Order: sequence, then C-alpha cells, then structure tokens
Amino acid sequence: MWKVRDDEPQYAFLKEPNVPEVNYYEAPIDLIARSGGAIPAGREMFINEEPGVGTNPNRNKQHAFHFTADNCIGCHACEAACSEKNDNPAHISFRSVGYVEGGTYPDFKRMNISMACNHCDDPVCLKGCPTRAYTKHVEYGAVLQDPETCFGCGYCTWVCPYNAPQLDPIKGQVSKCNMCVDRLEVNLKPACVSACLGNALNFGVVEDLPENREQGKLSIPGFPDPEITHPNIRFQQTKQMPDEVTRTDGMPVKYHKGDDGQYRPVVDQKKGVDKRWSLGKLSSRENPLVIFTLVSQTSIGAFFLATLGILFGFEPLVAFRESVMYVPFVAVTVALAGLGMLMSATHLGKPMRFYRGFNNLRHSPVCREGLGICLYMAFVGFHLLAVLPENAVFIDLMGDWGRFSGLATGLAITAMIPGSIGLYYMYRCYRIPARPFWNHWQTATSFVGTAMVLGGLLAGVMVMATLLWTGGDASAVVALTGAMVLLGCLLEGVGLVGHARDMNVGNNEGSVSHYIQCTLFGKSYLLRNAILVANAALAIVLMTIASDVALSLTVIALLLATSMAAALIGRTLFYVLVIPTTMPGAFFWKNKDFEEHAREIGLANMPQVGVVADLH
Amino acid sequence: MIFGRKNRKPITIADKKVVDWKYAVCGYCSTGCSIEVGLNAEGKPVASRGKGNAPVNQGKLCIKGIFEHELSTTSGRGTEPLMRDKIYNGFTPVSWDAALDRTAAEFKRIQEKYGRDSVAVVSTGQLLTEEFYTLGKLVRGVIGTNNYDGNTTLCMASAVSGYKRSFGADGPPGCYDDFENTHCLMAFGSNLPEQHPIIYWRLKEALEKRKFPLIVVDPRVTMFAQFADIHLPITPGTDLVLLNALAHVILKEGLQKQEYIDAHCNGFEELKATCEKYDPVTASRICGIDPDTIKHVARIYAKAPSAMSIWTMGINQSTHGTDGVCGINNLNLITGNIGIPGGTSLSITGQCNAMGTREWSSCSGLPGYRMLEKPEHRKEVAEFWGVDESFFPAKRGLQQTDIFPAIESGEIKALWIVATNPLTSMPNQPRIKKALEKLEFMVVQDGYQDCETVNYAHVYLPAAVWGEKEGVQTNTERRVNLVRKFTEAPGNSKPDHWIFSELAKRFEAGQKIRFPETTSDIFDEMKQLSKGQGRNLDISGMSHDLIEAQRGIQWPMREGEDTGNPRLYSDGVFPTPNGKANLLAMDYIEDNEVPDASYPFWMNSGRVVEHFHTRTKTGKIGNLNKFSPTPYMEMNPDSAKEFGVEHQKYVRLVSRRGDAVVMVQLTQRVPRNMLFIPMHYHDCVNRLSLGLLDPYSRQPAFKQCAVRIEHIDQKEAARLNVERRAF
Repeated sequence: MWKVRDDEPQYAFLKEPNVPEVNYYEAPIDLIARSGGAIPAGREMFINEEPGVGTNPNRNKQHAFHFTADNCIGCHACEAACSEKNDNPAHISFRSVGYVEGGTYPDFKRMNISMACNHCDDPVCLKGCPTRAYTKHVEYGAVLQDPETCFGCGYCTWVCPYNAPQLDPIKGQVSKCNMCVDRLEVNLKPACVSACLGNALNFGVVEDLPENREQGKLSIPGFPDPEITHPNIRFQQTKQMPDEVTRTDGMPVKYHKGDDGQYRPVVDQKKGVDKRWSLGKLSSRENPLVIFTLVSQTSIGAFFLATLGILFGFEPLVAFRESVMYVPFVAVTVALAGLGMLMSATHLGKPMRFYRGFNNLRHSPVCREGLGICLYMAFVGFHLLAVLPENAVFIDLMGDWGRFSGLATGLAITAMIPGSIGLYYMYRCYRIPARPFWNHWQTATSFVGTAMVLGGLLAGVMVMATLLWTGGDASAVVALTGAMVLLGCLLEGVGLVGHARDMNVGNNEGSVSHYIQCTLFGKSYLLRNAILVANAALAIVLMTIASDVALSLTVIALLLATSMAAALIGRTLFYVLVIPTTMPGAFFWKNKDFEEHAREIGLANMPQVGVVADLH
Repeated sequence: MIFGRKNRKPITIADKKVVDWKYAVCGYCSTGCSIEVGLNAEGKPVASRGKGNAPVNQGKLCIKGIFEHELSTTSGRGTEPLMRDKIYNGFTPVSWDAALDRTAAEFKRIQEKYGRDSVAVVSTGQLLTEEFYTLGKLVRGVIGTNNYDGNTTLCMASAVSGYKRSFGADGPPGCYDDFENTHCLMAFGSNLPEQHPIIYWRLKEALEKRKFPLIVVDPRVTMFAQFADIHLPITPGTDLVLLNALAHVILKEGLQKQEYIDAHCNGFEELKATCEKYDPVTASRICGIDPDTIKHVARIYAKAPSAMSIWTMGINQSTHGTDGVCGINNLNLITGNIGIPGGTSLSITGQCNAMGTREWSSCSGLPGYRMLEKPEHRKEVAEFWGVDESFFPAKRGLQQTDIFPAIESGEIKALWIVATNPLTSMPNQPRIKKALEKLEFMVVQDGYQDCETVNYAHVYLPAAVWGEKEGVQTNTERRVNLVRKFTEAPGNSKPDHWIFSELAKRFEAGQKIRFPETTSDIFDEMKQLSKGQGRNLDISGMSHDLIEAQRGIQWPMREGEDTGNPRLYSDGVFPTPNGKANLLAMDYIEDNEVPDASYPFWMNSGRVVEHFHTRTKTGKIGNLNKFSPTPYMEMNPDSAKEFGVEHQKYVRLVSRRGDAVVMVQLTQRVPRNMLFIPMHYHDCVNRLSLGLLDPYSRQPAFKQCAVRIEHIDQKEAARLNVERRAF
C-alpha cells in the first residue's frame, strides 16, 4: 500500500463526491452496476502483487481528471511528478503539456493543455490491443496496461486520440498512465494532480466538480472529438480564446471556432505550398508494414485469381494447374504470405513474442487480420502439399505418391475464407477514428486494388511463362492480366478521387495529411497518380495486343515495374502521411519535427535531449 | 478487458524502495522550498517530494525540485583537484595539498608583486550561508583583498542597493503570507509562473480564496501577464518613468497616506517636485503605457486597503535597476504599504542562497549587513575575528562587473571563481574571454568540472554540491532553512567550507584565526555576531535542529524567541540615521542601447522553468532538459514574415558585441520589435548582450540591447548548434 505521510497536505486528498447515477454518456458511474454485477465490490487489486483492499470508499466509481484550462501555466510540474513517480526515462512521458495560442501582441493568449490517459469508457486501446495487455478495472474505472504482456506492435498508440500509450523504442513495449491507483487506494489524488502549481489539474469521481469550479465541459480547443472514446476528463474554460488558435509544433494543424463555439482542426500551411518529391522522407519505422501489406495482398490476389479461374474452368489456368509450374506458383504465394508475416513480426518491439498476437480475437482487428493471414498461409501451404504429388518433377524425384486433387481443391477453397477475412480485417485495422486519413473506404479500394494489380501481374507472368514454355496459347491469360490491372487501377483510382475529395473538405487531421501529400510529397503523389492512369491505359493496350506475344511481354514487364513503383509510393505515403488526432505539442517536447531534426543533426545522441537517437 | 478477465494481469507500479527521507531546502532558486529526499537501502537518493507541512511550499515542488535527487548522479562532476601551468596545456590531477599550496603561493606572490587588491575573488549565491561566512572571513580577514564580490551582482544587486537607499539596510521586508492579506498585487518584470512557480502557486491559492486585482508590468505576454487583470506591456528599461508617473497621479489626486509619510519618511518634498515632471501623458510617450491606464492603476493601488509590489530581473537588470527598486519603495512608502500584512516591497530573489551571501559573505562589506564604511562595524568584526582593525579597507572595493574590466586594465592579476560560471553568465562574453586570458593565475572552485569557465583556469578545485554537505540557506522572505547531508560527494571533491579553511591554514594570518570545522559550529559563531542593539539580521535564537523542526525560520529571531518574524519595519522604524525611510527623487535618463536601423530589435532575455542559470545542473537531467534542450528565441510572426524568417529554422543574431545562432519560435508573445532569448545557454545570449551597468548596484542591464537578424545556412547552423552543446 502507498504510504500516506503524517503531514500529507489537505489538497492531496480526494474529496467526498456528490454525483448523479450516470455520467454524461448515460453510463452508470458505479462500475459494479456498469459491469452488470459481474464483478464483486471490494476486490483486491494486487498492485505489485500486494494483497489488501484500499480504504477509498468510492473505489468502484468511475474517476476522471478535471482540467481548468484557464489556469494551466505550463510549468511541467505534473509531467515531472508523473515521471518521477513512475521512474520514466526522458524520452517517455505518461503526461505531456502542449499548447495552442492565438491573437496579436499584446492581445495574445496561450492555452496550455496537460494531457495523459483519460481512462475512457470506450477504451479503443484495450479493444485494439492484440495481446490483451489492457484491462479496464471496476476499481476507479482505471484502464491499466501491462507492459510485460505487450509485444510492442504500437497499435494502441495508433487508435488512442490523446497520445496516451507511450511506445518505448528502446524497451520495445508500451507503457502508460496508471491513474496512480496505488495512491487512489489510500484516498490520495494522483501524483500529477497533487503536484499541479496552477490549480489547473484535478481529479475525482467523474461529473463531480472540484471545489471552486463551475464547469464540467467535454472539450476545449485542441482536444479531439470526445465521441470517439467517451474519455473521462472534464474541462473548465471560462476565458474565451481567439477564434483561431495555432500549434507551435510542426503539425500543420490549427483550430478554428465554428458557429457552435467548438474548435475544429483546419490546415495550417506550415509546410508552404511548393510541391516536392521528399522521396527520402517516405521511409519510416512502418516500412515493415509497407512490405507486409503489399506482399500479403499480392499473394492473396494471385492465389484467389488462380483458384477462382481454375474453379470456373478458365482454360489456360486449368492447363497451368496441371503444369509443373503450378507448385512453384503456390510456393511463391505461400512465401509472400510468409514474408509478410515475418515483416509484421519484425515491426514488433518484441518480435519473438509474435505468438501473443492472437489473444484478443474478441475485439482486436489486428488479431483477426493476423490470424486470417496466418490461416490463409497455412491452408495454401496444405494445398501446396496436396498438389505436390501431382507434380511431374516431384514424381521424378520421389516417385508416385498418388493423387489428392479433391483434397487440394477443398484446401484451396478453404484458404480463401481466412484469406478474405484477413484482408478484410487488414482494412478494418486502419478504420481508426483517431486517424481520419486512414478512416476512409479508400483504404479498402487501395488494398483490393493492390491485390488485383500485383496479384494479377504475378499470376499472369507465371502462367504466361508456363504456357509459352509448354507451347500453349497465352493470349487469354494476357487479356485476363490486362483486365485485372485495369480493374485494380480503376478501383484504386476511384478510391483516390473519393479520398482526395473527402479530405479536401474534411476539416480534420485527414485534410492536413492530404495537404502534406499535395505539398511535401506533392511530386511523388502526382507521379503515383500518373502511373495509375498510365497503367490503366497500358492495361487496355495489353488487352488489345494480347495475341502479340513479344509486345505483350514488353508491356507486362513495363506494367510490373511501374505497378510496383506505384504501389510502393502509394503505400509508403499511406503510412507516413497519417496525422493522428493527437494533442498539441510544445516547441521541443512532443514536436515530431524537432525530434526528426535532433536525430538528423546528432543532438539526439545526448540522452538528456529526450529524443531516442535511433528508432531502428 | 473491460471489467474483469479470468486471468488477472499484474498491476506493476514503480516502487523506488525508499527507506529513509532526508530533509533539505531546495538548492535551485530562492523560493526556499522544503524537500524530502528519499534514499533507498543502498543510501542512494532515488526520490524527491515536497515537505508536507513546510510553510513555504506546503508539499509542492516545481519541476526542478521534483528531480533534484538526480543531481547526485549528473555528469561532469569534478572528482580530483586539477592543475596546469598554462591555460593552453592540459590539466593534471593533483592532490589537495598540491592544489591548495600552489593557490596560496600564487596569491601571495601576486599580492606581493602587485599589491593586496590584485587578487580578486568572485563568489556566488550557491553556497551554504556558513560557507559564505567562512569565505568572507578568509578573504576579508586573511587574504585581505578588497576586490571581492558575488555573482549576486548579476541578479539581486539592484534590490540590495535599492533597499539600502530607501530603508537604510538590505533585507526584503515582506513575506509570502502577504498574498493572503493583500488587496492589490503589482508585479514588475517578474514572471512568477516560470521563475518561481511555487511562489506563484501561493499567490494563486490566495487569489482563489479571495480575488484581488493583479497587475503585471512586463514587455512580454508571459503566462503571468496573460492571467493579470491589467497587463502593462512596457517599453524595456523605462520602469522608473512609469513608477514616477504612478507617484505623480497618487500625489496629484491626494491618494497618498500623508500621516505615514510625515511620521516615517524623509525627502517627501523632493520626491513631489521630481514626480511633478512625470505627468501620465509625458510618461506614456516614454514608457509606452497610455495615460488613462497609468491613472487607473495608480488609483487601484493607492486606494487598496493594502497593496504589495513584487519584482525580479525586469527591474534589477537595468541601467535604472536601483532607481526602479527605489521607485517601487517610494510607491509603497507613500501609500503606507511597508511592514503591514499585505503591504510590502518584496524583491523575489534569484539563487537559493543569494540572501545568504548578501547577509553573511562580507562581499559588499562585513558579515551580518555590516559595512566597511562604518568604523564601529570594522572594529566590532576585527575584534570578533581577532584581526587588526586596520587590515579592513575603509570602503568597499570592486564589484563583479568591475572586476573583469580591472583584469582588462591589468589591475587584477589573479582571480578565484567560486561556484559561478561567468563565461556563460556575464554580459558581453567576448570581452570576458579576452580578460580571462590576461590573468596570471586563476582558480575555479566548482562542483562541475565541465563548467565553461574551467577552460580558463590554472587550478580547478572540485567542490561538493547540494546534499553533500550540511548547512543553511536564506530564502526570499528571509527564511533560514536547512540542507541536511544525505549523500557523499563524488571522488575526492570536498565541501566548500573545508576548502576555505584548508586554504586559510596556508596563510600566516589564517593560522591565527579560528576556522570551525563543522557548519553547525560556524553557525554558532554567526549567531554570536548577529546579536546587537537594533539589529534586524539576528539569528541568535536559531539552531540547525530548530530550523529543521520549524521547516525554516524567518529572521529576525532573537535569543529567547520561539520563532522568527514575518515582516520588517512594522513599527515604522528604519535602520537609517534618523530612523525614517528615504523617499528618493530620481530622474529618468535615457541611456540604453536602443534599436535603430542597423540593429532593429530589442533583445530581451529571461528564464525558462526547467533550467537553472547556466545549465551546469539542469542541462544534464533529461526530464528537465528535454523541454528546451537547445537555444531558441521568441519572435513575432508578423515581423518574421517581413524578414523572411521561418518557425523552427535557425537564424544568426548579430549585435555590436558578437553573434549567436538560435532556433526561431514564432509567437505573438513578443512585440514586433523584440526578440526574447532564454539566458541559460552557453555561447548564446551573452555573446550579444551589452550589459550597461546600474550606477549604484553595478548590475548589468542584460535585458536591453539592440540586435539584428541574419540568415544562416541551415546545415551550418545545425552543426554549430550541436558543436556548442557539450550538455
């Protein structure tokens, strides 16, 4: 148990609450009631494995932070008290203070915002986490995370709108605010609250206003839409801010006051309006995911195309199925899926713990995606084993083991089920409200489009080569390849047009991402779009010249190269561009641009700069 | 999972396994917060927390205090004395005997050759009061140089001079409790939330209990200015004009407390005559505050049942610093706001023990606010120490800011620097570097071997820092508080008082004077010296243990009293010849380097909350330093547009002294013709600053000079930025 001092100051103690039955979102504040009585009151929390129940009489009520934005002086005492208590290194902070500001000297106002985990009613981190590292407790409603369970995929850091979970690239795991439940157990407010020097930060049962406070607002300028997670934080802001407030960090977002008095993000053209290539900046720590999504989609596209073609009796594919080349083709699709899984594992902070990625099938799209792709790979693998005895080379080497055609077909069809599920949840993974740039149907058209184009080309090339070698007629396959590329490009194109249209009018962080896409990466973006258009045209050409083998081969080779380039640019853009609905940063701390700069110039080599020198 | 799961996940919360908490007063600023440092089973400091029942901070700490336990493991500490013949050679580690013998021998040689005053000593506000007292005894009573001063000349000298001119003696008359009683608070050039966050919290608590007007005078829209009821964005360096104008309005409208003035003040007629010239319209054209606002503020202040003023470097670091302080004192005297609850002139001091050095170090005179200029004081101290009275000079010697020019001119040949870093902290750094190269001998005594000034030293003496020795410090409200020793100094480094006593033994005179070994013995000696008729600075009722028990005691606490006294001059009796305070008639003379066509920007400087002074401590603690790891300046976005300057890019600033490379932070916090640069970074703001001196306090005007902006290649700038940061 946390030890209360003899001289503990009065302000550090939680006050006796006076609260309604339900919170603003109509959820019961009593968490035993909210859990439907599934959990008994008076349960031990076993903090640091220590038994015993705390003395806090309100421990089964949902607690919340209360932040008086009028008062915060930006003194960092809350952040420091938190890091001191939790023994965090400089580059990790469970609580951070950033600010927005506006006006013209001397009519100038800065509003500091101190933000940690809001222990949400709908904890998207918990739902997203594939390892089930998160628990929302009936004690205080605290959302706690176990760093030892975490394998460092970072998905919770994507879905959280408040930047609460902290991914430590050195330890390869996430950790976060624990609400100081050890202090709460003995009636003390969290360390950050007790340390506050502006009388801005407070804490208590949700909807219970602290002493001397009159508002319990849901939002202030710079705070993301509370509808995403129903966060347990309430605000007081009685002093008006200017109609437009800006951020000091590199994020090209500012906030504008709407007719309803709410501030919404709009683009702040911090990066100018020039269109640039910035190819070097396309590389990021998400590179393994670029490869994972591209190769697994290619594999699925190629395998689905072949299997469906064979099922529907498409002559050249049936012939291919019977050829000696079918086994290598299936092997390639398995290998690609395997490479994808490997890549997604290397993306983890703790790759050797990849097996924990299937622990939260009930909630997490990451789990379902992983399991889907894994099972897909497994069934394609079994299919490979089942077709192997048919293969002429196998028979030459190993003898005749019999035929298992029915089984093979069954396995191929079965593989398509987890394959589809995997692909679908791969898409669902990115439908994150806190990341508006991804949270669009275009993500689906892009994933399916890629599967069609790259999968179509892979299957097309292998089938064509086989037929040319065996002396068959490849023109139908050439036409089919052309059709796949055309459809894929069209699908991708329609998605991009719709995405650009929606992002342009979005008034959210997605619009900001799109602004960066059109400026910092403007030329790269245009190149990719041009390639898509050109490839659609080339695909039509390919379909018309299908009988001309030499020309077709040239066009397909060209398509292969350009499609891969387009896919690579498109997918890297997808990852580097996304701007989460995070809180405003400060000039150095929580400023991505400064972190990048510090790494570039070597300032980050001094650990006290608080920037991890080398991310990977 | 939401509400329950079959297999409970462990809840792991860091446990620092503290077995013992040690009491200390914080070693950063002068607020004087009581800290408890947590030690683990190995005796290693692992945690800090505010002392719950301490009167100053009531359990709170600012960011620096929260991580103060990490000081004991900061990099760059000196562990062995170092020595070299020439400053272009490398250092060799030597024994304490070798280092101290050489130091004493060089001091003696130089004093014999060039005279007693050719050795100068520049001390600090960082030591324990007992150490200051010991150093004073050594310098005044043994070495006998008159060129002895502290770095407090850079921060509080104007407050000291102003208090002396107005009230006859140094010593802030008010206390933090005045916030609870005042009906109006006016802050001049003080950014409390950033510089003294705990004092701000005390004020905020008072304001939440009972709202009273808050007026902030500052050219920048700091958080404090933003939260003020009335913000006066004054033109830099013109506070005296505003203060005279406020007095003008009060006197014009008959709002003064005439009976108080008549009973307790000298010089009323002269003040009245001078202030007559500063009508609000005339004043507004100089100080930039409109006449109506001046009148409004004057009325609020004068009509409040009690009103108080606080100030910090915005006033002190100015060519009119002392006049500004006296102007504030005038304002409070004519409104009867001295020595009453909620009515005071309270300078908010800088360093943890700036007050201790003012009181006991003998820098500006003799211990216990005694003056060299008074024969009876010379006699008293000479007898107490057992030295010849004639050994003391009859007049104070050079101050820190005059010592460096005296090195330049060849009057001073040897310099002993104690716990200060003039190479970063003095204005006009290029001039300081050049001067230091001329010295025949320089000793730097500091906890940090990587403190930039060490680069110019012949001898480096590694000293113990906060928590590695025991003794007292005095805070802004005259509260004497205790630091217990809770950890060992690294390697062979030693407490400063040990170094002083050991050096004394190497002088003939030093062998005759008693230098007590422990700080509590030294404190007992100081107690004896603090006694006397009519003395305010009386600590004779205190002891180390009693100080800890009461979490600090405000002097005066005379023998036999239970505790200290919160305020001075409550009886209206001042330590002047006739017992009355002096109202001072002061004219404003425009003497700053002001922006012009070639150098179109005001350069202003100040603090950030996460750093202390020249970053030798805070630059090494990641959880502090990360909030501002590299130099930057605030610039107005509108003028940035005009000059083609971009946010978060580097620029080169050029003044008539030198240049600096900083990163740009665009914000409307500053006016279009001003740049604000935090003062903590080496090779930055003081390559630019001019530092014209206040005629009384000799304190430099750090905050007023002119600079221009030049573009610089971004890669080159980044390279320079990294190169100039060893920490």
